[in-house]
Amino acid sequence: MPRYFFHLHYGPGKRAPDPEGEILPGPEAVRAHALAAARGLVAQTRSDAVRDWFVCAFEVVDEAGTPVLTVPFGDILPDQGD
Amino acid sequence: MAHPPQSVVRNRLLKAFPPEDFARIAPHLQSTDLPMQEPLIRSGVAVEHLYFPEDGICSITASGSDGRVEVGMIGREGVVGVVPVLTGGGQVPHDHFVQVPGLAHRIGTGPLCAAIEESDPLRRLLLRYLQVEVVQVRQTAFANASFTIEARLARWLLMCHDRLDGDDVLIKHEFLGMMLGVQRSGVTLALQNLEGAGRIRSRRGCITVLDRTLLEALAEGSYGVPEAEYARLIEGV
Repeated sequence: MPRYFFHLHYGPGKRAPDPEGEILPGPEAVRAHALAAARGLVAQTRSDAVRDWFVCAFEVVDEAGTPVLTVPFGDILPDQGD
Repeated sequence: MAHPPQSVVRNRLLKAFPPEDFARIAPHLQSTDLPMQEPLIRSGVAVEHLYFPEDGICSITASGSDGRVEVGMIGREGVVGVVPVLTGGGQVPHDHFVQVPGLAHRIGTGPLCAAIEESDPLRRLLLRYLQVEVVQVRQTAFANASFTIEARLARWLLMCHDRLDGDDVLIKHEFLGMMLGVQRSGVTLALQNLEGAGRIRSRRGCITVLDRTLLEALAEGSYGVPEAEYARLIEGV
């Protein structure tokens, strides 16, 4: 299974690169993992560097550094409809 | 192998033993390795040996559906397994396992219990140590409830630094997230913030403490209370 890296964007020009990555079966699992991680951060973690978790997004890349997905933290909220 | 004299022991609690009590237990001390991830005490299993670490760190953990979270840390300032021995409770509902490998002096519960029965000063010393453990756990609850991930990480690094030789803490972000009960990304974020301010250097699998004073400032009131209690109750400072 491939390894995916979940780089965290937490504001303009602010990025925490993921040095370890996660081994996951594919893009669907990547999205589920990103959403679960985002939920955990929003619900349980206060950070000196992040006032609002909902400006954050995971930029997920594969081992070659190729972008796989971007998952904004807002995606954890239920769809409100337009 | 002959037991070590008290003067060369590095475990701070053994150093604080009244000399006659150290002499009482010394023949029963065995030098033993603490290999990475070794369970020293298992939840719900009778404690048969206690461990006085010389170096290395033992984590006390609580387990849930999301994995383990660290609820206590014991290194060369203490002894692993003393709570159910002092109380007569026999066992505890939390796993204790080796988080940083090292060495320890091991003793069976029988000889230690016998020494405690014979010596009130030893019993009182170990009860004072028990108070320090209680204070540490309460302070961890306070830190987890009230402080940011950066402050909690600073506190955790200071606690490790207190118990290790040198400035390097070997740990992966994934494991650190488990220990602090936060997402791995939260750990990565906090490490980056601590590193940016020159408090630490973070490499894959290794965090180096560069400036303790800055870390202490960041940890605010989350760090230092059990440490001061230890100095007061065990080392008489």
